[in-house]
Amino acid sequence: MSDSSLEIPEAAVRRLESSAFSSGLTVPDFAACLDLGLQPVGLVQGFCVMRWGWYGAGSGYMRGINPYAPGPQNNGGYAETYRCPHGFVSNEHRMWGQNVEQTWVEEAWSEGYGSAYRRMLDEAVSLGAHGVIGVTDRINPLADTGTTEFHFLGTAVKVEEGPPPAGGVPWTTYLAGQRLTKSIEAGFMPVAVVATMASVRVWAYCMTEYLMEGSRGWGGPTSPYEVEQVSKAHMAVRQLARKQVRQQLSGDTLHGARIEVVNRELSQGDEVIDCTLRGNRMRRFKDFDDVPPPRPTVRLT
Amino acid sequence: MSASGAIDARAEMLSGAKSLAVAPPPSRARGVTSDLSIDEALLLHGAGWEPVDLVCGVSVVSVPVGVWNWGQGEITVASVAHNAAVKGASDQLRDECIKVHGHGVVGVRVEVEVRTHHIDVELVGTAVRPIDAKNLPASPFVSDLSARDFTLLKGAGWLPVGLAFGASFAYAPRRSAGDVMKQKTQNIELTNFTEAMYSARESAMERMQRSALDVGGQGVVQVKVTEGPMHFARHAVGFTAWGTAVRLVADSHQFVQPQVILPLDDAVVTFEAQSLRST
Amino acid sequence: MTQPQDLPKDAAHRLEELEHGLFTSDLSVNEFLLVKEAGFHPLGFVMGSSIYHIGLQTRKWGESQELTKLTEAMYTARELAMNRMEEEATELGADGVVGVRLDVNYYEWGNDSAEFIAFGTAVKAEDGNSYRNAQGKPFTSDLSGQDFWTLMQTGHVPQGLVMGTCVYHIAHRKLTQALGSVGQNVELPNFTQALYEARELAMTRMQDEAGQLKASGIVGVRLEEKSHQWGSHTIEFLALGTAVTKTTGEVTLPKPITIISLDN
Repeated sequence: MSDSSLEIPEAAVRRLESSAFSSGLTVPDFAACLDLGLQPVGLVQGFCVMRWGWYGAGSGYMRGINPYAPGPQNNGGYAETYRCPHGFVSNEHRMWGQNVEQTWVEEAWSEGYGSAYRRMLDEAVSLGAHGVIGVTDRINPLADTGTTEFHFLGTAVKVEEGPPPAGGVPWTTYLAGQRLTKSIEAGFMPVAVVATMASVRVWAYCMTEYLMEGSRGWGGPTSPYEVEQVSKAHMAVRQLARKQVRQQLSGDTLHGARIEVVNRELSQGDEVIDCTLRGNRMRRFKDFDDVPPPRPTVRLT
Repeated sequence: MSASGAIDARAEMLSGAKSLAVAPPPSRARGVTSDLSIDEALLLHGAGWEPVDLVCGVSVVSVPVGVWNWGQGEITVASVAHNAAVKGASDQLRDECIKVHGHGVVGVRVEVEVRTHHIDVELVGTAVRPIDAKNLPASPFVSDLSARDFTLLKGAGWLPVGLAFGASFAYAPRRSAGDVMKQKTQNIELTNFTEAMYSARESAMERMQRSALDVGGQGVVQVKVTEGPMHFARHAVGFTAWGTAVRLVADSHQFVQPQVILPLDDAVVTFEAQSLRST
Repeated sequence: MTQPQDLPKDAAHRLEELEHGLFTSDLSVNEFLLVKEAGFHPLGFVMGSSIYHIGLQTRKWGESQELTKLTEAMYTARELAMNRMEEEATELGADGVVGVRLDVNYYEWGNDSAEFIAFGTAVKAEDGNSYRNAQGKPFTSDLSGQDFWTLMQTGHVPQGLVMGTCVYHIAHRKLTQALGSVGQNVELPNFTQALYEARELAMTRMQDEAGQLKASGIVGVRLEEKSHQWGSHTIEFLALGTAVTKTTGEVTLPKPITIISLDN
């Protein structure tokens, strides 16, 4: 289990105590930041390496989930069962299949992300910062071992003459520079960067296996055919990611959302689909003023 | 806001910071997710529309073994499969849009992967609707226009009606050894090759046109043509044509009357001083 | 000039559909609006292609020279593609084609052959006048929608995409001999002469085409140099531009606002 109360490394303490600040901002972003009345106070980062089991130790499958039996067994997560229409029994013929939401993978991912994020916030708090801008998050899976590193980097800032945020928890955003200025002017205040990951494992049944390998099996249709189990898994993973994100929003808006899907095809039609969704959670602090319609121009360069 | 109408960024930032100093009451509102940038969200709002939610559509269609082996003319099975996958994904996208009460989807990002045994199509976009819309349209539109292009077109009196799409796959014709020797030193057009590739390309475009007509479009803009051999079967070539079908909804086209500007920049100067609303 | 050949029947069918009122274009939304602003309406996306086999040509390795057979092949192949594109435009009743792009594709199964493709959007004037060129054919131009609008505002009209090509063999052996005098600053006269001549040939041929169209000038000239698939000893020099003539209309380009943009 990871522990977000891990001490900030000693080197970091020394760096953060020095009075000169370092910031990850480019010159234009730095200028825009000062323009907003934000004072950079230091570069902050958070890091965490998580490991979870795909198939062996630590995985849901070792804890007794059987993909070849009907019914959801993953803490009520998404699961959908498929049953062979052929009525033919043999060792080679996969009579059952299931799409299973790998909730243990999602939990481990969230924990890793959360720990790295909280460590970055701890560094920011030690500097007395109100917020962190220009956050970059690097999420790197290391080979195929189910080990992933989470690394956050951002520039901690103080709002000049501003109050600290409620609970002393700094607000964070991926934005910086002109893009941040525009959202403030539009009435959106950044609250936090949010990210979530949904993971679905496809345990193929006979029809899916045949279709993904280009054969029809016997008794199947002979024209191009939608591979329903796989399509459903893809749709489900994206829907799950969005549902998870919405739970973190509490009515705020997610701007600049990015969906990334990675799927790994295993043998015999099996595959694992991971969907990551991230964006800036923002809150309206004033009504939309009417923006005058922009004027179209043609440039004579 | 100062008298000149320009915005005081500092004051706004302070306002924002103050709003976070107090914990908000718990909200049961359904948060909006959108992949639009702030600029796009504002432009959309200026046109009287707002983002509703991020929506997706995915379809995986299998292609039987042996389809890519060398034959003649069009690889019909592949074209049909490709078409089915795009249609399946668009239908899903449209269903999601209806579920969140959107009137249409903009900024659709299209990803198509053609593999040996299956064709995968993924669509992601943002569902939008007129602010405070009460009624739902009969059928929401799907377009790969960015939110910016959507507002520009709308200002000119046009609206997107749907994605126009067409694809065709063809085998490259064979040349006999005798032909190869005869043609070695000549500058000569290879007419049956030309015919095969030309036909396949035109076929993809024609299907795109027909799909535009099917959704009630009067025209297609931003046509993008892709073509190339399959990595797993270099003698099979695929052509696709994509665009957005549009329709004039105003009485006549509204001219934009652009302003001509002459920038005097030379080198890159690194300080951005433009506010959203300063004149 | 080669004779235009018949278009495949799929093309005829597609164009017929366009004649019933549907328009297609590969113009971006910005370009679409500006083409309308210039008083034109897009009719349809047009294209022409030709798969051409380029014959072997013997050459003397020690001398720099034009490879006339290759020049002719590159020229003819592109002409075939352009002519077919123009035929499609004529079929639609267009006044011209904007945004023309010329591409060359190499397929692995086509040794020594390549596909030459020309694409563009056919347009028609909304004021009922004909803007076809001196040869009575729709004008072609590689101008973007923005450049087309700007050009029309200056009182000029495109006549046609003009091109000149020259495939030149560069005798590298002479070059390595010359490098025997390494360490000195020296111009390599033979090398310079060869490249100079090749570029001039390409540009002169392009200008001749403009002359045939009775143009008053050429805008947007681009000089491209490619080795295609022939290795580094052989380069094709391609000069492309849009030939234009002045109309009798007045210049309507409004006085531009000068701005100093302080961004990158």
